[in-house]
Amino acid sequence: MSERPFPLPAHLADDAVRLDRVSLSYGPGADVLSDVSLSLKPGSMTFLTGPSGAGKSSLLKLAYLSLRPNTGRVSLFGVDTSRQSRTGLTALRRRIGVVFQEFRLLDHLTAYENAALPLRVAGDNEKRYREDVVELLRWVGLGDRLNAKPPTLSGGEKQRVAIARAVVGKPDLIIADEPTGNVDEEMGERLIRLFKELNRRLSTTLLIATHDMALVRSSTADVLRLADGMVSRVRVDEDENSPAEFRI
Amino acid sequence: MSERNLSAPLLPREDARDAALFFVVSALCFLAALSGLIARSAYQAADSWTTQVAGQVTIRVRGDDAALSMAVDLIGKTPGVTSARALSREEEEALLKPWLGSASLPADMPLPKLVAAEVVSGGNDVATVIAQHLADAKLDAKVDDHLVWSSDVKRATDSAGLVALAAVGLLGATAIAVIAFATHAALLARREIVEVLHLSGARDRFISSLFENRFLMLGVQAGTVGALTAFGLAAFILFTLKQSSDHIWLLPQLSLSLADGLILGLTPLVAGVAAMVATRITVMRSLKEMV
Repeated sequence: MSERPFPLPAHLADDAVRLDRVSLSYGPGADVLSDVSLSLKPGSMTFLTGPSGAGKSSLLKLAYLSLRPNTGRVSLFGVDTSRQSRTGLTALRRRIGVVFQEFRLLDHLTAYENAALPLRVAGDNEKRYREDVVELLRWVGLGDRLNAKPPTLSGGEKQRVAIARAVVGKPDLIIADEPTGNVDEEMGERLIRLFKELNRRLSTTLLIATHDMALVRSSTADVLRLADGMVSRVRVDEDENSPAEFRI
Repeated sequence: MSERNLSAPLLPREDARDAALFFVVSALCFLAALSGLIARSAYQAADSWTTQVAGQVTIRVRGDDAALSMAVDLIGKTPGVTSARALSREEEEALLKPWLGSASLPADMPLPKLVAAEVVSGGNDVATVIAQHLADAKLDAKVDDHLVWSSDVKRATDSAGLVALAAVGLLGATAIAVIAFATHAALLARREIVEVLHLSGARDRFISSLFENRFLMLGVQAGTVGALTAFGLAAFILFTLKQSSDHIWLLPQLSLSLADGLILGLTPLVAGVAAMVATRITVMRSLKEMV
């Protein structure tokens, strides 16, 4: 049973994701993120770019509630996560689909079982969702690999299972960390098309971290750049070496 | 929920650590059940023996056969005495057999003249009345109501029972600690699974129940193995002892009484519940460390 969310001021309540002056460090070291603020409107699609080690994955972890910030506030769907009970946080997680950079599939489960995991832990009846999960896996090109377990899958196949798992519950927010990093260009475009379809049809908010500038340029989505612990909104021109950059 | 799903369990079915834990919990349950059976048997033996001697009074009479006959007559008429009879020489020799062996005693060897009297239960002062009647009749006799012996035996078995109960408690606590440790190790080994379930929206109770069910079954099965092994061993030891000697009348009788059934039934149940509770506490505490 989800609890009543902690109400935020009306002007903040619209944001699907909002980080207010968030800082994060691992242990006593330097901040990975320093005084970062950003907001994503519901139904928006945003790419997060930046050099390796800039803290993109850490920022995503804050957004999908795997980490707590050292300072600042993380709000999802207008709910201040720092004021939520564990039950409230679980309710928020069920509205988020995550594609982890390292896939994080469960090796003892089949591709089908991995993809269906969010539905299963939410208590849905398998008889009701089985056909939908199978159809989704067929759509991502894994129709003949339903019963294969992750150790026997290629990197690209694992990635597609991970994406299927993230989208299977039709979440309000999808957070993807390098979702096309291990697939060929054609499959990458297909997967991005799936994200766009979800964004267009279900108004799913998308936050996608990627190094793939070609992918970014092929889209009209918003682009955020993370560097030196700070987030900037950028406009990606045709010439990837000269991105116009705006602080947000 | 899992009954409605056709999919594989969310936790891997087997783990090498589970086999080791199964062995440890079985061994602990075996020792606990054995202690319980021994304690129960000791109590039963003491109770049976003291009940038996509580209804008996033995009187040693000094003098000739006429004095013995008079004593039997007086004792039989004492209020609270249901029967009184002089023991035959054969019966007295049988009583001496554990100390003097089975060889026949010389016919001219003098034996004390004994009268066995059955008294009503609860008649604690009957022995005193008998002694008074015999003294009044100027008979030289000594009355033994076995109280000293029975209270010694009861004290000894009470102590043994307490030691056995303490052992059961200690073994139970050890089993819980071992299971908690094993659960923690299992959680660490399956941390990736737990984190993925957690981030996929699984409630803490849902994740905990996966481990609880696993360790509940492990506790019940290990407890069953331990309890049955303990019963088998106890039965074997008693059977062997009884085969090797005719004179172990104080040795506990091992039979499937209600108390034995309770010990056998409760051991797996307690092991299972203890394992489940230890698992729940450990898992919930670990999950609290996650956001």
